[in-house]
Amino acid sequence: MEGWDPSTKSALTQIPLLTTRAGPRDGGPWTQRLKEEYRALIAYTSMNKSNDNDWFRISAANPEGTRWEGTCWYVHNLRRYEFQLQFDIPVTYPATAPEIELPQLDGKTHKMYRGGKICLTVHFKPLWAKNCPRFGIAHALCLGLAPWLAAEVPILVDSGMVKHKDDEATSAES
Amino acid sequence: MDAELLELQRQFESAQQAKSSVRLSERNVVELVHKLRQRGFLDFDLLHTVSGKEYITPDQLRLEMEAEIKKSGRASLIDLSDMIGVDLFHIETQAQRIVSGDSGLMLINGEIISQVYWDSVAEEINEKLQECSQISLADLAAELHIGSELVVSVLEPRLGTIVKGRLEGGQLYTPAYVSRIGAMVRGAARGITVPTNLSTVWSSLQQLLQEMDSASGVSVEGTFFQSLFNGLVKEGEILGSLRAGVQWTPAVFAHAQRESVDSFFSQNSFISYDVLHKLAIPQPKQYLQSRYAEGIPLEGIFVHPSMVEMLDAAIEDAIEHGNWIDCLSVLPAYIGSSDASKILSLCPSIQKAIKSSKAVILGETCVFSNVCIKDMFDRMEKEMDALIYKNPYAQGPSSELSTASESKFSSPGQHSDQKEVGDDASSRQVVEKGSKKKRGRNAGSMKPGVSEDDPDIQENFAGKTKKNLRKSKGTGSSDVPDTKASVKKGLDKGKDDSLNIPSEEWIMERILAISPDLEDMGGLDDPHALIRHLSVHLKPMLTSAWKKRRSAMLDESTEKRRRLLDDLQKQLDEVVLDLQLYEKALDHFDDDPSTSIILHKHLLRTMASPITDKILVTLDMDKKLKDGVEVEDHPNVETTTLSFGDRISLAKSLPGSLSAKAQALVEASEGKRVESFMTALRAITEESGLLLKKLDKKLERAMLHSYRKDLISQVSSETDPVALLPKVVALLFMQVYNKALQAPGRAISAVLSHLKDKIPGSTFKVLMDYHSATVTLLALQAAATEDEEDCTADRILSKKELLESMMPELKGLVLNTTSS
Repeated sequence: MEGWDPSTKSALTQIPLLTTRAGPRDGGPWTQRLKEEYRALIAYTSMNKSNDNDWFRISAANPEGTRWEGTCWYVHNLRRYEFQLQFDIPVTYPATAPEIELPQLDGKTHKMYRGGKICLTVHFKPLWAKNCPRFGIAHALCLGLAPWLAAEVPILVDSGMVKHKDDEATSAES
Repeated sequence: MDAELLELQRQFESAQQAKSSVRLSERNVVELVHKLRQRGFLDFDLLHTVSGKEYITPDQLRLEMEAEIKKSGRASLIDLSDMIGVDLFHIETQAQRIVSGDSGLMLINGEIISQVYWDSVAEEINEKLQECSQISLADLAAELHIGSELVVSVLEPRLGTIVKGRLEGGQLYTPAYVSRIGAMVRGAARGITVPTNLSTVWSSLQQLLQEMDSASGVSVEGTFFQSLFNGLVKEGEILGSLRAGVQWTPAVFAHAQRESVDSFFSQNSFISYDVLHKLAIPQPKQYLQSRYAEGIPLEGIFVHPSMVEMLDAAIEDAIEHGNWIDCLSVLPAYIGSSDASKILSLCPSIQKAIKSSKAVILGETCVFSNVCIKDMFDRMEKEMDALIYKNPYAQGPSSELSTASESKFSSPGQHSDQKEVGDDASSRQVVEKGSKKKRGRNAGSMKPGVSEDDPDIQENFAGKTKKNLRKSKGTGSSDVPDTKASVKKGLDKGKDDSLNIPSEEWIMERILAISPDLEDMGGLDDPHALIRHLSVHLKPMLTSAWKKRRSAMLDESTEKRRRLLDDLQKQLDEVVLDLQLYEKALDHFDDDPSTSIILHKHLLRTMASPITDKILVTLDMDKKLKDGVEVEDHPNVETTTLSFGDRISLAKSLPGSLSAKAQALVEASEGKRVESFMTALRAITEESGLLLKKLDKKLERAMLHSYRKDLISQVSSETDPVALLPKVVALLFMQVYNKALQAPGRAISAVLSHLKDKIPGSTFKVLMDYHSATVTLLALQAAATEDEEDCTADRILSKKELLESMMPELKGLVLNTTSS
């Protein structure tokens, strides 16, 4: 678990672990698995809220709960930068981690695959594989997206690739 | 669709929708608050806590503070600041507001204290006070950690309500205690009878209290006593007057003071200021004047007018009887001489007497009636006269006299003292004239001896107590040389200005001799002061009397002198003429030196010596008369024959140049030459203003004639054969030379031989025979003086007869030639 900052680690440990090993195609166990996913997400969200560290909104885009959509944001220099967020639950889930996409940032940074999928750290996959099926969506967000935002957004903002929406508005007007 | 799943979906949704609790960093918050304040959203001051982590609004602070105060009723601002964690400054400002808003609170010395707290404290104090009966405010203040003034200010409104006691001089007392102390003070104050400084009383009371309850160690302050005392005085429980806050004069003392002054003054009709001082009256004069308006204030004493009246009566008495009186003897012994003289000046009788010059005041206090002084003066004048007549050196013996008198009257004094007890009765009779007062002082010391001696002086207040007597004995002896010396001095002075004024000392001696009682009246320092005053008073009178007397005497003596000198002149004329006459005869003997010397000597002895004596004695008398010395009688000049020594001494006693001339005269009279005597005589006569008559022819002739006649008659009547011869020879000489000759026996033979050529031989022979016979007779007589043998007597007798037989022949010889 080395390689992550202490706040991330403490948050991760507080997210309840999942137990059911089931993918989207497994029918009943998936539902079970989905329930567990929700519980974990609720815990994580409430934890973030209580810590004043709320940084995303997601919801299942289909009833099966294989596609999730939402937003995520990061505060940098007292400015909030908000991005679209979407990912699909892979068929091999939970063995395979979901691939989180930030479509707005597609092509703006090297640490990203085509289609806006973010490049996770080398530490993520082994850790995920080791903790299959105990890690779920909440853990993926916590371990994957949060560190990436913290690392990439300041660079993007500073390099001018990403602009605040107020600035965009003013620049558009001008 | 699973309901549970739906539920979870919904839960997740709501969880995501729930507002997240805002977590701001301190820095953010600080900035936020700053921003808010900048924007003016906060319309009140935000306060920081001490830690700096918290903001607090004033209202909150106030609430918290009030809560704290309400808890105990008393809160220190520092404690509040600690408890609430707000800076002391804000606490203080808030405290001000709280206290001003709530009248039940007070802010004192950094503490907020509520009235409730004070009430409870007062109750505690009361409980304690009832236990101990006395509490010191200082203790209370220390206990409560507040100032004693604050304690007083807090306790005062509660005294009598919550605290049942009395506050006095920093102490709280229970009424019982106060009444006890009050009783003590009353007792002490009532016990005081003399003026006292109250603080000493209080200190002694304090000591007493401490001894009584030494355990409690209660110390009562003097001011407490004082206030109790003042209360008692106000209520009239103790009487007296308080001066300067601490000097207490009890009424009983003031009463006693007044009583004693009253009684003394009314009994003695005087009161000394010293007495008042002893009675602790600070300003006796004013005190007495305010009390006795009619009294007379003097320097050391306060006198009632009756005293003056008494003195007045005594003085009047004395003046009427022609006596003297010393006021001091009449007045009480306290009165000093200056006061006495003041009283004297108030006496109407003495004023009258002085105005009519019936009396004089001497030595401040002694009044002498003029009668008395006159009497004294008369006696002294008489005495003085006697002295003048008696003594050619007027003053010389006076000292002896005075010393004699001094010793005389000191010894009878002593004597009388010894017998005075026996003579008490008689002395009392003498004193009866004096007032009671006089006798009171002098009765025991009367001098009967003196009073008998001087019956004229009626008031014989010798004033000689035994002590005085002893003193006078002492001074008497020491006075004698004193007076002697002074008299001598006076004498010298008298000689200097040739005026014999009676000296003061002499007058004093006389006064003492006349009235010895005057001695010792002057006072201790100078026992003769009075006498001195008296003598000073008498001196001018005496001096004038003396001068009058003296001028009279001088007139008399000049008269005498003139007569004396006339006398001398007359005699001198005669004798000098004679001398000149005889001197001429001596010229014949110049060729015979031995005879000449004999003749000169004879002439000097027989003629010059008497003249010398006469001159000397007369000059001496003249000098004395000139000095104003009374010369008793004319000494018989003829009879007095003086020796050489007497003459020299007399000559020396003459004044100045006269003395030298007179000595020369005396020398010359003892010399061999008449001429030298004559020159000396001439000198002295010139000096003394006399005249020497020159012998002229006419006068010589007349004198010779008378001399011859004289001689003839003498010769014819002469019976003594021895005496006959010189006269015959002289007659013969005169017949021959027409010169008068005075020749001694021894010179006869020489004269005869001188005459030999001029007279007939028979005559010469007769003379020679007679002469030889005379010589043998004289020789025989000289030899016969030792033993009377018959043969010599017979021979003398026979010779005498022979001479007598020859006498007629001789007489005839001379007389015949004369007649022829």
